[in-house]
Amino acid sequence: MGGRLRLGRKRVPVEDGDTIASAMYRAGIRTFSRSLKYHRRRGLYCGTGECPNCLVTVDGVPGVRSCVTPARDGMRVRREGGWPSVERDVLSVLDRLHALLPVGFYYKTFIRPRWIWAIADRAIRRSVGLGRLPAGPVGTGTSRHLHCDVLVVGGGDSGRAAAVSAAARGERTVLCDEGEVRDPPEGVEVLARHAAIGTYEGPMVSLASTEGLVEVHPERVVIATGATELHPVFPGNDLPGVMLGRAAAGLVRRGVKPGARAVVVVEHDEGFEHLEALRSAGVRIAAVVVPAFLESAVPDGLRTLVGAAVLRAEGKERVRFAVLRDAEGVTRGIGCDVFLLSTGRSPRDDLLRMSAQGEPIEGVGDAAAAASPRGVPATGCVCLCEDVSVADLERAWDEGYRSSELLKRYTTVTMGPCQGAMCGRHLAAFAAARGAATNAAGRTTARPLARPTPLEILAAPVHEVIDKRTSLHDLHVAAGARISWSGSWLRPFAYGDPEQEYRAVRERVSVMDVGTLGKFLVTGPDASALIDEAFPTRVDDLAPGHARYLLALDEAGYVFDDGLLCSLGAEGWYLTSTSGGADRMEAWLRDRADRRGFGAHVVDLTAERGAILVAGPLGRELLAELTDDPIDRETFPHMGVREVTVAGVPCGAIRAGFVGEVAFELHHPRSRGPELWRAIAEAGVPLGLVPHGLDALEVLRLEKGHPYVGQDTLPDDTPAKLGLEWAVHRGKRFAASRALERLGERMPERKLVGLEFDRGGAELRGVPLRVGALIVGRVTSAARSPVLDRSIGLGWIRREPEDPFPEELRADRVGARVVPTPFYDPAGDRLRG
Amino acid sequence: MVPCPSCGWRQSTEFAWGGELRPIEAADVESDFERVFLPENVAGAQAERWFHLLGCRRWITVTRDTTTNEVR
Repeated sequence: MGGRLRLGRKRVPVEDGDTIASAMYRAGIRTFSRSLKYHRRRGLYCGTGECPNCLVTVDGVPGVRSCVTPARDGMRVRREGGWPSVERDVLSVLDRLHALLPVGFYYKTFIRPRWIWAIADRAIRRSVGLGRLPAGPVGTGTSRHLHCDVLVVGGGDSGRAAAVSAAARGERTVLCDEGEVRDPPEGVEVLARHAAIGTYEGPMVSLASTEGLVEVHPERVVIATGATELHPVFPGNDLPGVMLGRAAAGLVRRGVKPGARAVVVVEHDEGFEHLEALRSAGVRIAAVVVPAFLESAVPDGLRTLVGAAVLRAEGKERVRFAVLRDAEGVTRGIGCDVFLLSTGRSPRDDLLRMSAQGEPIEGVGDAAAAASPRGVPATGCVCLCEDVSVADLERAWDEGYRSSELLKRYTTVTMGPCQGAMCGRHLAAFAAARGAATNAAGRTTARPLARPTPLEILAAPVHEVIDKRTSLHDLHVAAGARISWSGSWLRPFAYGDPEQEYRAVRERVSVMDVGTLGKFLVTGPDASALIDEAFPTRVDDLAPGHARYLLALDEAGYVFDDGLLCSLGAEGWYLTSTSGGADRMEAWLRDRADRRGFGAHVVDLTAERGAILVAGPLGRELLAELTDDPIDRETFPHMGVREVTVAGVPCGAIRAGFVGEVAFELHHPRSRGPELWRAIAEAGVPLGLVPHGLDALEVLRLEKGHPYVGQDTLPDDTPAKLGLEWAVHRGKRFAASRALERLGERMPERKLVGLEFDRGGAELRGVPLRVGALIVGRVTSAARSPVLDRSIGLGWIRREPEDPFPEELRADRVGARVVPTPFYDPAGDRLRG
Repeated sequence: MVPCPSCGWRQSTEFAWGGELRPIEAADVESDFERVFLPENVAGAQAERWFHLLGCRRWITVTRDTTTNEVR
């Protein structure tokens, strides 16, 4: 592979198999970052993606673990934490002011005068941190579900063995690992570069990758995440050059010599592998420190100190001396540039600890093994991520925080990127040694996320298994429409210039594909009883062949949808809902029918019926050319419902429309949609027909003051808050009538109103409405109306119930006024025309 | 897993949770407020409504133990 990565102005050569960290180390980089609080130099330490020391920003993405991330040609790498640079950091003076900046100092200082906190807050925020947030999302992805029999987390020896034996038993097996998986076992689905970030009840395990989130639902889970190396605590343990055995072995494996002269502390078998790695790379071994029981395993010819204790590491920019006290009690400083610590293993068991009791989740291998014994830390850095020393813990203890959970919250120990992998056991040991109660001296509760995860992965939208398209989709594509998601539907937003489309509706005639509307047939002996009970709309006087605006309220009296209710006489009721609300509408109707014991069928026709809207002053003229059925004003008035055959296609036609012109909704069999659309488009050519999309509709419906449920409404909006009391029939009992009775006793404290602005358009949507500096509401929709030559919108305003609406409103910097709606054709003459 | 009378035992992810089974109406305005906004939220067996959204689209009432998630 080869190539180079850029580190500031430096160019760092990359060799095959390099991680970012190994390439940097080979180029002589020893300081990888500055610590969070005291700006101490930090070097390569764990080498296994646990500790925070080697986190860098790569191509603008912060928090990248350079020791486990493969290096690629052309990467731009920035080290974090120092100002002006990591090598020369003026803020390292903070390290000498340690005594002035004890743990929790900012809880107690900068309190008076009050303005000082504003300045201090800014200064503190600028000086701490692990990198800068990128300006926007660093990736996109989708979330998906995966069902299997067994999920094995971790592709090491134990994990592979578990996966292979599960697959051999015929179980559908998935093996995931946060890194690569070499020689994937046969019959096992392997998800490499998928980090398990949490176990949840079910069991369910979330995996994060650059492609998004995978939620795995296995019958059982095997956790084989292995172990981290013990993180010894002594003064100077965070100096560059002090490193864990696996970090050095990893460097050697990639052809990088970790240093010239090493002191090596070995306290378990694995340490001898690390020692051998150093020797094979040609590192001089200044001394090997071993406990008595391992003395015989030390290779001949090496200076061996049996039973010596590590006192501290000394050095300024990096380690120069390992200071030890030998078994005779003599203190020695041994010169070195690598101080290698291979003192034991600590199971990586956070995924196991966060799972509920009784869940089918088991640990295998090192993840389930006991931790190597270790002492209680006396001095030194406990938490590398959050820069917390033993002295900080002592101080917090003295202030009365006498359990591991409280010590954690006060000092922030275990709360950094490693999530306690390095420091969690030290904290528990500290609390226990100080005499915390047994139940207050354990490990702190493990919770998701176990691994650093970008927010956009957590927010990844659901993988669209179904992209809903109307039968006219291909025609829209052929017409060059700009198509995008609207809920779970793909819909045309514009075919060309939205203003031309808008003008076609207002001045001539236009068509729109409204096949996305929710469409339901309700039949059966109790159909009318169900409709009457489920909705606030008056039903008993709605004659066959007529439609009425339908408001849907839940049991709390809150508006969740709206649509049209059409009486079909003996055949029952036909009703429409908004495009996004169809599922909820269906669930609502079925729930009421089921719980009330109504004999009624709810048939969802959304997928099998299409709908085309023909709208505009020439709309009737256009239809007359395509049908022999009477559609004149008298026989087919506004809000009428008729069977009409248009261009040979049988349609249920509703004279209604959102847009405020003469309009016909033609509900037809889905399979006949394209021929109907083509026939209308052809007949419309001499009349100047242009189809319109959602962009034009937004302006058209806003001119009529029609709110979109969901866009202009809040989840607790009632009919009164929306000015829709007229759609509620007062004289009947229905699902929400008690709730409205209760709410009706009070005037709404918030109301949706029509707004007029001095200037501007759609960009005002979402802007707060102010009176002076006080925020009193929000703009929910806004547009420039071509026909009125005004800027109009909808928005809600909060006020004392008896007060009038404020007169001097501002939307951002634009003056605004409350005005009555509709803005366009308030008398409805054009609509009824 | 949730038992559906039409489809048998199915994964809970196919269903939409509809909340506790509450009385369908209340005698007066005050008890209606409690009915809508103050669920029992018991620790233990609780009657709940579930909607088979990705299946037969039927509502069912099941008993779920809220401490173990065991569904009957």
